[in-house]
Amino acid sequence: MNNLKIVRWFAKRSIFVVLLVVLSLGSFLSVVPEIFAADIPVVAAKANEGATSGVELPQFESGQSSADSQLPGGQSAAGEGTATAAIEEEEMAPVQYRTFFGLDPRTVVWIVSELHLMFAAFVLGVPIFAVIVEIVGFKGGDIKYDKMAKEFTKLLSAAFATTASFGGLLGFCLFGLYPEFMGHMTNVFSPTMYVYALMFFGEAFTLYGYYYSWEILKGTAAKKWFHIFLGIMLNLFGTGLMFLTNSWATYMMSPAGIVPETGRLVSLYHAVYNPLWMPVNIHRLIANVCFGGFVVGAYAAVKFLGAKSDEERAHYDWMGYVGNFIGVGALIPLPFAGYWLGREVYSASPVMGNIMMGGAFSWTFIIQAILIGMLFIGANYYLWLGMGRIKGSERYTRFFKYLIFIIFVSFAVWLTPHNLPLSGEERAMIGEQYHPFSKYFGVMAAKNAVVNLIILATFFSFLIYRRGNKGEMCSFSEQGKAGKIGIFSALIFCLLMLISYAISLNFVELEENIKVFVKPLILSLYIQSFVVCLAAFLTFKNKGKLGQALLFAVTACIAVLYFWYYGFQVMQKANLVLRYLSVTQVSIVMSCLIMNAIIDVFMFRKAKLVGGIVWGKMPARSQYALILLCVVIVILMGLMGFIRSGLRMDWHVYGVLQDTSQWAYTPTLSYMGRIVGLIVVLFLGLVAFVFWLANLGDKKENKKTNTYEYERVTADYEGDR
Amino acid sequence: MANRRSTFLLIWVITAVGCLYVFLKYASPKIFQMLMAKDHPMPTPSTLMMWYMIMGVLAGLVYATTSNQKFVDFLSFLLPDRGPVIKSFLRKIIFVGFPALVGWFVYTWAIPGAASPVELRIQHPTLPQDFEKLENPFRQADADVQRRCIEEGKVLFQTYCRPCHGSKADGNGPFANSFRLRPINFQDPGTIATVVDNYLFWRIKDGGPGLPAESTPWDSAMPSWKDDLKDDEIWKIIMGEYDTAGVMPRQREKLE
Repeated sequence: MNNLKIVRWFAKRSIFVVLLVVLSLGSFLSVVPEIFAADIPVVAAKANEGATSGVELPQFESGQSSADSQLPGGQSAAGEGTATAAIEEEEMAPVQYRTFFGLDPRTVVWIVSELHLMFAAFVLGVPIFAVIVEIVGFKGGDIKYDKMAKEFTKLLSAAFATTASFGGLLGFCLFGLYPEFMGHMTNVFSPTMYVYALMFFGEAFTLYGYYYSWEILKGTAAKKWFHIFLGIMLNLFGTGLMFLTNSWATYMMSPAGIVPETGRLVSLYHAVYNPLWMPVNIHRLIANVCFGGFVVGAYAAVKFLGAKSDEERAHYDWMGYVGNFIGVGALIPLPFAGYWLGREVYSASPVMGNIMMGGAFSWTFIIQAILIGMLFIGANYYLWLGMGRIKGSERYTRFFKYLIFIIFVSFAVWLTPHNLPLSGEERAMIGEQYHPFSKYFGVMAAKNAVVNLIILATFFSFLIYRRGNKGEMCSFSEQGKAGKIGIFSALIFCLLMLISYAISLNFVELEENIKVFVKPLILSLYIQSFVVCLAAFLTFKNKGKLGQALLFAVTACIAVLYFWYYGFQVMQKANLVLRYLSVTQVSIVMSCLIMNAIIDVFMFRKAKLVGGIVWGKMPARSQYALILLCVVIVILMGLMGFIRSGLRMDWHVYGVLQDTSQWAYTPTLSYMGRIVGLIVVLFLGLVAFVFWLANLGDKKENKKTNTYEYERVTADYEGDR
Repeated sequence: MANRRSTFLLIWVITAVGCLYVFLKYASPKIFQMLMAKDHPMPTPSTLMMWYMIMGVLAGLVYATTSNQKFVDFLSFLLPDRGPVIKSFLRKIIFVGFPALVGWFVYTWAIPGAASPVELRIQHPTLPQDFEKLENPFRQADADVQRRCIEEGKVLFQTYCRPCHGSKADGNGPFANSFRLRPINFQDPGTIATVVDNYLFWRIKDGGPGLPAESTPWDSAMPSWKDDLKDDEIWKIIMGEYDTAGVMPRQREKLE
C-alpha cells in the first residue's frame, strides 16, 4: 500500500518533469529536419572547399580520402572498383566522422557538452562559497550558516553524479563521433587525461567525504577544521579538474606546443599553457561562482514560494539573499575577466577577434549584452525589494529613481549595436553608414564606460541595502585598532594596485608617438590614488560619508566620463593603448569599490540599529526575480559556450586540424537560438529533477521524525494519564 | 488594494515614457542635426526606437514595483474613488487612450504598405586564413621610405578611391549619393581603425565579389581591384588611406 502511494505521489509530482521532457523532445525534433534540410546546402559548399587552407596532419593522411569523399559514418564515396574491393577499402580506411544514430554529431556533442559544462559549473562553483559560508558560521558561531552550507552541499552531491554521467557520455560521443580529432587530442594530451581521471577520484572522495561527514565532524574545533580542510581539498581538486579540461578546450582555439605542419607534440607544457588557457581559467572560475550563486538563489526562491511556515520562509528568504549576493559579487569582476579573455583572443588571432566582435558572432554579443543587462537589473531589483524587509531602510528609497535612471540609460548604451539593422529608407534618411547613436554608443569605449557605471550603481545599491537598518554612527575613534588597521590595509592595497600599475605604464614598450597616449592614464591613476588617500583621511576625521561621495564622484568622472571620451581618441590614434586604458579603468573602479566597502564596514560597525531585518517578509515577485536571474545566467552560459567554441569556425584545432565534415558550418542565429533554448530547458528540467531527488530523503526523514514525535508525545500523554 | 491614496504614480510613469518617445522621435533627430551640422534631421532608427521604448516602459514598471506601497499606489489609480476631479478625468483618458493606442499599433502594423526590409548587418566579414598572416612590407621600412609610400598611396587613393570614399576619406565622394548603402566614412573610429592592415588588403583586392557566403546579403558595391592594382600599390593605398583619414590601423598585440 505504501509503495502504491509512493508511486502515485511520484506520478503526481513528476508530471511536470514528463511535460518538460516532452517539450524538450518536441523542440528538438522541430530542429532535426533543419539539420538535414535547411542548412545542408551551406554544408555541402563547405565540404567541397575541403582542406584547401588547412594543414592536414600526416598521421591522419594514410588511407584518408579527401573531405569530399567522406560521408557520414566514415563511408568512402569514391569507391569505384569491385564491390569487394570497395568493402575492403571501407574496412581499412580510418573513420573521420560518424553520425549519432543518423543525427548530426556536431549538434549532439554541442548539447551534451553544454549540459556537462552547466552541471560542472554548478558542482565547481557551489563548493567555493559553501566552504566560505561554513567557515563564517564556524568562526561566528552561528548555526544557521552551517545549516545553509550543508544544504548547498546536499544539492552538490546530487548534481555531481549527473555531471559525471554527462562527462562520460560526452567522452563516448567525442571518441565515437570524432575519432580522428580525438586521436589528435589524445596524441597531444594523453598524459593529462590520466591525471584528470586520478583527480576525479580525489574530487569524488572529498565531495562525498565532505557531505557525509558533516554531522560526524562536529563537536570540537579540530574536527570542524578537518571538515573545512576536506572542503578546501574538494575545491582544489575541482579547480584542478577544470583547469585541465580548459587546457584541452583552449588548445583547440590557440594551439601551442606542437609543430603545426605535422601535429607532432613538442612541449606538453606549452600545449597546456596555451595563450588562452589562463584567461579562460579565470573567467570560468568566477563565472562558476556566479552561476552557482544564481542557481542556488532560484532553488531558494522555489522553496520560499512553496514554504508552509514562517520559519521555513525566513530560512529560504535568507538563502535566496545569500545566493543573489554571491551571484552579484561574482558578476561584478566578470566583465573585466571577459574583457581580458576577449583581448587575448584578439591577440591570439586578429581574425578570430574580428569574427567575435565585428563579424559573424557580433550579434550574439548583442544578445549577451541584453542578458548581462538583465542580470544587473534583476539583481538590483531584488536588492531594492529586499529593503522592504528592513525597518529603517525607507530613508534610502529616494535613491531608487536615480539608480533606475542610471542603470537603464547605461543598459541602453550597453546594448546599442554598432551596426544597426536599418531599412533602405532609414539609410537614405540618415545619409551615412552610422547613426550617431550607434556611432557613439556602439563601440567598446562607450561599452566599457557604461558597464563600469552599472557596476558602480549596483555597488551603491548594495551600500544602501546594508545601511538600511543602521542608524546613528559612532565616532571613528571608537572603532579602535581594528578600524584603523582595516582602513589602513585597504588604503595600502589600493595604493599598491594603482601606483604600481602607474609606474609600470612608464616602461611599456611602445613607439614614442603612441606612448604619449599612455600619459593621461598614468595621471588618472595618480589622481585616483590621491582621492583614495583623501577618502581614508576624511574617514579618520569622522567624515567618511564625504570621503565615500568624493571617491564615487571622482571615479565616475575618470573611469566613466573621461575614459568614454578618451577611448574614442585612443581608438583612432593608438589602439595598442586600449589594453592599458581598460586595465586603468578597472583598477580605478576596483579601488573605489574596495575602499568604499571597507570605509562603510568600519563606519557603521558599531552604529545603532534602527530596526531588524524581518526575514521572510518579501513579495512573491522578488522570488520570481531570483528565478529569472537563474534562467538568464543559464541562457548566458549556453550562449557564451556557443561563441567560444564557434569562433574556431571550421577548425577542430584552429589553423592546425580542419573540420572537413558536412557539419562544419557556422549555425544561423535562429538555429543557435533553438539549440541553446533546448539546452536551457533540458538543464533546468534536469536540475529541478535532481534537486527534487536530493530532497526526497529529507522529506521521508522529516515524515519519520514527525511520526516518531507524534507517537512519543501520545505515549507520554498516555503515560501521564 | 485597500489603499486608495491620491497618488499619480501611474500618470508620472506614463508621462516619463511619453517624454522618452517625444525625445527619440522628434527631439533627437533635430539635436543630432545641429550637433553634426547636417542639412537634414537624423531620425532615430525604428529598431533602436523599439528597444529604447521597451526599456523605458520596463524602467517605469521596475520603479513602480520597488515596494509594495508603490505597487499599490500604481495600480490603485485605476480604481474608482472620491479623489480629485483631475484624477477621474485622467483615469477616463487612460481607459479610452490605452485601447486606442493598442489599436493604432495594430493598425499601423497590419496596414498594407511597401517598405524595404530591415536587414541585420555585421561589420566585419570573416577574413580568409590566406590573408591572416600577411604583413604590409612598407610598415617596417625606414621613415623616409614610409613617408614616400604614404604620399604615393595618397595619390593612388585619390585616383582610385576618391570617387566613392571622398578626397578626405570621409565617405563623401562624388558618387557616394548614388549608392543605397553609402561608402564607409574612414574617419569614423569604428571603421578602419578597428582592423589590421591586411584586412583592408583583402577588402581592396577581392572587393564585394570576394565576400564570404555566410552572413549574406552584404550589400557591398566595392569592386575587386586584383586585376587592376599590384599588391605593392594596394599596400601603399592602405597607408595613404589611413593617413588621409587621420586614423591608425589596429596593431597586432603581443600575447601576455
